[in-house]
Amino acid sequence: MIITRKAVARRTFLRGVGATVALPFLDSMVPALATAATTPKPPVRMAFAYVPNGLNFKDYKLDYEGKLDKLSRILQPLEPYKQDINVLGNLTHNAGRALLDGPGDHGRCSASYLTGLQPRKTMSDIKAGVSFDQIVGQHVGAGTSFNTLELGIEDARQAGDCDSGYSCAYTNNLAWRAESQPLPPTLNPRALFERLFGDDAALSPEARRRRNLYRRSVLDLVSGDAKRLSQDLGPTDQRKLDEYLSSIREIELQLARADKDSIKIDPGFDKPYGIPADFAEHFSLMTNMLTVAFQSNLTRVATFLVTREGTSRAYREIGIPDGHHPLTHHRGQADLVEKVSRINVYHMQQFATWVGKLKAIKEGDSTLLDNCMIVYGAGLADGNRHSHEDLPTIMAGRGGGSFQPGRSIVYRKETPMCNLFLTMMDRMGVPTEHFGDSSGPLDGLDLT
Amino acid sequence: MQFTTPETPLGLIFDVNLGQTIDSVLALALLHGLAGKQECRVASLTINYPDLRAAQLCEVIERYYLSASGPSLGGNLPTVAPIGVVESRKAPADQPLLAKTVALTDGDNRKLWASDIKKWNDTAIPEILIRNILMANFDGKAAMVVSGPATNLATLLNLPDIKPLIAAKLKVMVIADGEFPSGKPDAAFMSDLPAAKRVLADWPTPIVFSGRELGTQIPFPGASVESAFAYNPNHPIAAAYRAGHQMPYDVPAPAMAAVLYAIRLSEGYFKLSEPGVVSVSNDGRTEFRPSAEGKHRYLKADPAQVERVTKAYVELASAKPAAPPPRRLPPALQKLEEERAAAAKKQPPLSDPPEQQ
Repeated sequence: MIITRKAVARRTFLRGVGATVALPFLDSMVPALATAATTPKPPVRMAFAYVPNGLNFKDYKLDYEGKLDKLSRILQPLEPYKQDINVLGNLTHNAGRALLDGPGDHGRCSASYLTGLQPRKTMSDIKAGVSFDQIVGQHVGAGTSFNTLELGIEDARQAGDCDSGYSCAYTNNLAWRAESQPLPPTLNPRALFERLFGDDAALSPEARRRRNLYRRSVLDLVSGDAKRLSQDLGPTDQRKLDEYLSSIREIELQLARADKDSIKIDPGFDKPYGIPADFAEHFSLMTNMLTVAFQSNLTRVATFLVTREGTSRAYREIGIPDGHHPLTHHRGQADLVEKVSRINVYHMQQFATWVGKLKAIKEGDSTLLDNCMIVYGAGLADGNRHSHEDLPTIMAGRGGGSFQPGRSIVYRKETPMCNLFLTMMDRMGVPTEHFGDSSGPLDGLDLT
Repeated sequence: MQFTTPETPLGLIFDVNLGQTIDSVLALALLHGLAGKQECRVASLTINYPDLRAAQLCEVIERYYLSASGPSLGGNLPTVAPIGVVESRKAPADQPLLAKTVALTDGDNRKLWASDIKKWNDTAIPEILIRNILMANFDGKAAMVVSGPATNLATLLNLPDIKPLIAAKLKVMVIADGEFPSGKPDAAFMSDLPAAKRVLADWPTPIVFSGRELGTQIPFPGASVESAFAYNPNHPIAAAYRAGHQMPYDVPAPAMAAVLYAIRLSEGYFKLSEPGVVSVSNDGRTEFRPSAEGKHRYLKADPAQVERVTKAYVELASAKPAAPPPRRLPPALQKLEEERAAAAKKQPPLSDPPEQQ
């Protein structure tokens, strides 16, 4: 027997001066004589995309269970991906409630969202808990470059009072490495890009200055390596590699555009240099990079704080000059309610675009989306009422083939959100008996 | 959930076999009577046998008492806090009182009361609801009354780190089941014997029992129903009473005694036994053995108080729904918030966002 197929190691990188580019999952990474049983499965990845201030619940909530049929107005952008999502109802975060601490639902709900614990009400000696993404990242991060990635779009202040005595550290972070150590999200796309693909830290100040001056593509830097590798690949893998490198190039072009264009629209807060002009562009850039990071196994765990809890960001891009948070306290006033729905739909459109990108990427016989658990969620259900039960929760992906998507699943009231986390930890290969206020894994998501 | 402060009235967690006995329904009415006088709050309601109709009746009663708050936004029916129910795939046992009450119709053959509860997921997981409510109360500011199977208590005990929470929060725990010092098999204990044994052995606080004998000695007077509830011809409590048996009839009221005792601890309505240990045999009989170290006691009727207790039963159970206190931050929290606001004003201006990574 003559074996012509050459195996490529899973952890192969394209290297150049000041740049390292990991590779996506290629067919050649499967040994030539592998059987179905021995074929390595692509890893399962998980991410959270968090939106603040709850949703306009009447335009979000589905009034049925079972197979997804007619989607609500806010879910409508996900129509093309109906068979790839589950919409989960009645999940509750008790730790987000007042309990004994009075006002401050925004501060509490974001700080407790992934930690499952009620944060200490303070502006100085902050205390929440280790978030479950960090626990997972520590366990599955060994074969990746980053245990976890933390992304965001908005304000990253870590001090001051952001909600009724709750520190801004609570509203402006999702991930917590330790109970008093939040992990601020990276907001600047170029900073994220260089973190993922550049070795700038290793460069001398002069070299870094030169590189910034000429802004060479990282693809130029690794082109020699890419050509050499390409010769060893079959036509399918060559195409995959081309597509992958093109997506990185696209990100670079988006970045360049953002650098030029960064103050066209005022989103209501100060933006550092290089932050894209509009929200959709920023969202797209961040999620494009996250997609590449997942595709190339740079990380398996990410959190994305779309905008911070309690934000008063305006959405002039879609003709809404009012602040998001004030709008959510609409007291039933129809025009304000409508604006909240439009913001919710706008966010969902960006998410749907990302889901589409994940679905378009093939991984063996499956897609990148199939091997993901992407949760789109909020720490408040109805922003007007500040309710912490029936939190909006959408799970995109099949968790590596273990979930059966395409359904509206409504759990019993008070079902802890932490039960979902237990299930996700299990699918990530980190089985845990208890997390936060969990009472057991979530049933109903599995294939059976 | 409500904001609570150390000054907030005691929150009563009522785990009840609502509709299995008329006593359970009257006890809920009595609880609302006490809440209307600001002597306590209805912290949570859980049903301890698997029948969605019990949750429907509970919702009907809660809506009735919420009606004093006035119509809700848009004229909708008032939103009732989640009601926990034991879930089961089996068909519910026959409960004539329950079935008749929830199916009552008006002159035009329309159902008297609407319920939003149609499926199990319209109700809450009882043990999680109780745990969450305990967390929302200050230490020693919650009370618990149980009437019916111990199923929900046993599942509550299965939750991690729960015993210290129960011990810290509960001021008093009363179980309205059994017969003391010993007696006939108890239907509630028998319906989930392992749960009853687990609770008697593992419950982390003292337990006071209100037994069948006490209920029989001080029954609820059925003759009072037509007059005391006459202010509303469609009163759900009176309707349930009428659905129970041929009127008029008196009912043993151990659950009413349990609620009255839990909230008015110092009123001297009942006598208390010496400490001891309650056990339940495999055929559901309870037995009380005196023991100085025992954590159990049971209530005893005080002949001198029977008339007073009966009067309290009728007055409180038939009390008109009371408007809730105005919604504002409790004084202690209000002061705290003002202090925080003042402190925030003194803070230096916020610094610029940190350098990006």
